[in-house]
Amino acid sequence: MATHVGEHNDHGHAHAPGLQHQFEDMKQQEESVSIGMWMFLVQEIMFFGGLFTAYLVFRSKYPMAFAVGSNHLDAFWGGLNTLVLIVSSLTMALTVYYAQKGNRNMQVILILLTMFFGAVFLGVKAIEYTDKWNHGTVPITGLNKVVREGHGDSHASKPIEFSIGPKAYAAEAAGGEEHAYVNPRGEFQWNDYDLIEKKVAEQKADPNAYILTTDEKNGYFSYGELDRDKFRDKVRIFYWIYFVMTGLHALHMVVGLGLMTWLGWMAFRNTYSAEYYMPVEMSGLYWHFVDIVWIFLFPLLYLLGRHFIAGGH
Amino acid sequence: MAEHGTHDMHEQHEHEHMTIPKYLLIFGILFIGTIVTYLVALTDLEWIFPGANTLVALAIAFFKMTCVMLFFMHVYWSPKLVKLSAIASFFWLAIMFAYTMQDYLTRGTGVFGQ
Repeated sequence: MATHVGEHNDHGHAHAPGLQHQFEDMKQQEESVSIGMWMFLVQEIMFFGGLFTAYLVFRSKYPMAFAVGSNHLDAFWGGLNTLVLIVSSLTMALTVYYAQKGNRNMQVILILLTMFFGAVFLGVKAIEYTDKWNHGTVPITGLNKVVREGHGDSHASKPIEFSIGPKAYAAEAAGGEEHAYVNPRGEFQWNDYDLIEKKVAEQKADPNAYILTTDEKNGYFSYGELDRDKFRDKVRIFYWIYFVMTGLHALHMVVGLGLMTWLGWMAFRNTYSAEYYMPVEMSGLYWHFVDIVWIFLFPLLYLLGRHFIAGGH
Repeated sequence: MAEHGTHDMHEQHEHEHMTIPKYLLIFGILFIGTIVTYLVALTDLEWIFPGANTLVALAIAFFKMTCVMLFFMHVYWSPKLVKLSAIASFFWLAIMFAYTMQDYLTRGTGVFGQ
């Protein structure tokens, strides 16, 4: 060691294979790496924060449209995905634990498990998106299933006016005997006005009660009556936010799976040990961050209006 | 050499704070938190005050996030600068929410409102 005094006086170099030459020792390197990763996560928080701000603004303006829109998301799939992500977070945390122990086999197994749960999450998301596509609730015109009269499944024989009529979802929920859903133009379709009509009736019965917000009183009505087209536009805002937020989150999952592939390969090659495991720890931070985003997305997107209909509405 | 050795010991010691039973405990808390979130969402709490459901859901979400950050992400044993970064990010987020909403919530719909 003493002979190496000079430009490359990195006294850990020969002993710690992961130590970069610009750092004094592993401790300093680990702190630098972890602060760099946290700076990245902080900007990710701001990145998602912009979307949460959009959510906050529009939900505070049109809470009932958000509640009604949310009630048509499948809380079972959303809740299942929450649990799946929590399990994957556990396996990720245990990966870090075993990387610190230098246990190669457990690392590889746990990384594969983490990837499996990540893939399950994306699969469930795909099921949900497909359901939205089939029901015409993708907010982009032309990006929904187009059902032509006389073609396709049993929906198609129904007349077109059913597509903008009120009862499609309700009929389906009632057991699907009247499978009224038709989406002839592939536009954003909305057929559930039960809850908002109930709330409008409550508001009219007691004009001074705080049931609808001022924006809702302006935004849902034409000539003093509930305007379904106007209300549907507000539900559409909710679906825009739903697709952008969950889509961006899913994109993070895809990136995370790529990261895990690399990490798994590196772990398989026995790269990590008690001295050098920061790549595992940092990938873990990313994975847990994505989990945290979903912890907030689940109640905010899937559950926000359930209590309005839970009492046997 | 000796110095390097003590760092290693220090690191080892530091990460012994989290053991497998503790990881499982945190996992259990997160799991139960998810179930509670779901059950509370099906219960009408509007009689307490409007928006009570959302407040409870967010409170549980914050609690779960805190568990994940402190123990899965090891913030609890991290340098102060990491803790500061984590807290500061939420502070900035709060500023963004607050300044945005103080605009939107105070926009009238006319001279005398509705």
